[in-house]
Amino acid sequence: MSDAANSAPVLQVDGLVKHFAVTRGLIRRKTIGLVRAVEDVSFEIARGETLALVGESGCGKSTTGRLILRLMDPTAGSVRFKGKEIADLDKDALRRMRRHMQIIFQDPYASLNPRMTVGEILAEPLRVHEIGDDASRAARGRELLEIVGLLPEHARRYPHQFSGGQRQRIGIARALAANPDLIVCDEPVSALDVSIQAQIVNLLQNLQQRFGLSYLFIAHDLAVVKHISDRVAVMYLGKLVEIADKKTLYDRPLHPYTQALLAAIPKPDPALRTKRVMLQGDVPSPFRPPTGCRFHTRCPHAQARCSAEEPLLREAAPGHRVACHFFETIPAPTILARAGLANGKFAARLAAFEAAKTARAPG
Amino acid sequence: MSAEALDTGFARESESGVFARAGVLRRLARDRVAALAGLVLSAIVFAALFAPWIAPYDPYFTDLTKVMQSPDARHWFGTDNTGRDIFSRVLYGTRNTLMLGLVGVIVGGFIGGLLGILAAYYRRLDGWIMRLVDVMLAFPAILIGLAVAAIFGAGLTAVVIALVVATVPDVARVARGAAIGVMGQEFMEAGRAVGVSDTELIWRYLTLNCISTIFVFLTLRFGQIILIGAALGFLGMGAQPPTAELGMMAAQGRDFLFMAPHIATIPSCAIFVIVLAANLLGDAFRDVLDPRLQT
Repeated sequence: MSDAANSAPVLQVDGLVKHFAVTRGLIRRKTIGLVRAVEDVSFEIARGETLALVGESGCGKSTTGRLILRLMDPTAGSVRFKGKEIADLDKDALRRMRRHMQIIFQDPYASLNPRMTVGEILAEPLRVHEIGDDASRAARGRELLEIVGLLPEHARRYPHQFSGGQRQRIGIARALAANPDLIVCDEPVSALDVSIQAQIVNLLQNLQQRFGLSYLFIAHDLAVVKHISDRVAVMYLGKLVEIADKKTLYDRPLHPYTQALLAAIPKPDPALRTKRVMLQGDVPSPFRPPTGCRFHTRCPHAQARCSAEEPLLREAAPGHRVACHFFETIPAPTILARAGLANGKFAARLAAFEAAKTARAPG
Repeated sequence: MSAEALDTGFARESESGVFARAGVLRRLARDRVAALAGLVLSAIVFAALFAPWIAPYDPYFTDLTKVMQSPDARHWFGTDNTGRDIFSRVLYGTRNTLMLGLVGVIVGGFIGGLLGILAAYYRRLDGWIMRLVDVMLAFPAILIGLAVAAIFGAGLTAVVIALVVATVPDVARVARGAAIGVMGQEFMEAGRAVGVSDTELIWRYLTLNCISTIFVFLTLRFGQIILIGAALGFLGMGAQPPTAELGMMAAQGRDFLFMAPHIATIPSCAIFVIVLAANLLGDAFRDVLDPRLQT
């Protein structure tokens, strides 16, 4: 899909900011502080491309996904979908826009309305956007169920009659219903067990090829990300710290945080233990983020300049941008990156994906 | 869930979702106390509905030659101080008392449920709605009844208003709690992402998913509402003589408690039976509908 990256981007995010106001007071609400959940995030996604957004819990990756879909209103910045600004659309225009951008949620047990049959759930996007009549919507629902590997007669059932993996397939079918161009996948497999994860990830890939979908794939599981993504963006405390194509990022991570993330993949080989970069402490609060580089409190390579001056995203190579003052001088932990691949569990899971992919014919 | 379950396994085949009313009734019938309470309550409702056909005497016909007679074969519950047949009056009184409770619960439940759900959906209204509800919560129903009776005159209307005001705040709190729980579920966000309008989100996504909680709360509340209604009647703020209403009948019989104790005790017993049956049934409904208690 590297040729797709050259065409016009489906999504352009520029300087996206989301601050949550912390308020106090009963009648007259006073803002006593801001949680800086997302700070100056910019990236773009090409048609047919998968951009993975990775980071620890609470780093703002899910918030970014919701801002793009305007399930939340951004504090600042611009989100252009196929060249059209959506950050300032009014309510009706936004509703019309929604059919082109969809979302798949993390928790398949919470993302389907328990009071609606699967058929009603799948017809909902079409009904809302007044596409077709009842009969054609029902037909489309049955078709969607087949596309995601369920049976057409499942349309009459209620969500609680399905397993987690099946429900996630229904969630995917709902996202596909109105033929969107972009799907935000918000940790779509992290609530599923590993054998089901592989099936769902491969389903997502098949659908991408079949319908030319673009994905923003939000995840914290680096094995899944390595399998599905074309490019990877790493977030830390609301900011992008590194963005590169998958191969570059996994082989030559430049930002100390990316290096630490890759090193944190468990390695059962005791010989490699000494090489490991361990992150100390917890993620600082986005309510009071550290000065300068937000990562300096946990960075093994931090120097005086890091706490004073905020690093900008700089181009390290074409398409590879890093927000670190010293990335040129930090030793490249190539051994660690390879160690990540050599790790048995990680490799076993990659193998599981491949196996499931060959076992299940596309579609 | 294993990989095999993906192709074959279904959580439960037989029951179709939360609409499984038949399943609910079956489980309810298995609980003997609930079945008995349900039977008693249906009998009472039936008797109240068909009071004009069942009552052996005119409840307002006074016969001064037969005052304060003890229960016997001709007057099952005896007669009161003006010689009216107490059995007939209890039937008509039950009618009024049940009607008060029902109207209180339905109107109060509707207003309270709506307030609670709107507060949960539109968080900027939350503070205002809940403060309003707190203010309502601060007034005892008896006091509201007194105030309404003082303004518009005593009568069934005054009692209904008091009962509604007594029901609204509690229902609003319960509905808000349930709705906030539903709001946190991803399917609400999914609906929004699909483009579903606010009205539809509130009704088809939010309300339908917290209605069983509200319903259970109202069935539990029904007994208490009847009791408050009877208390207001007893204090003379409700139905005015000669209208039959259980609370008021108990109040009138109080003067003759030593000479003819049945005049006060029989309507009181009727209240007791209605409230007990309603509470037991409400408890059983809660047990059956509460998903945490289901196996």
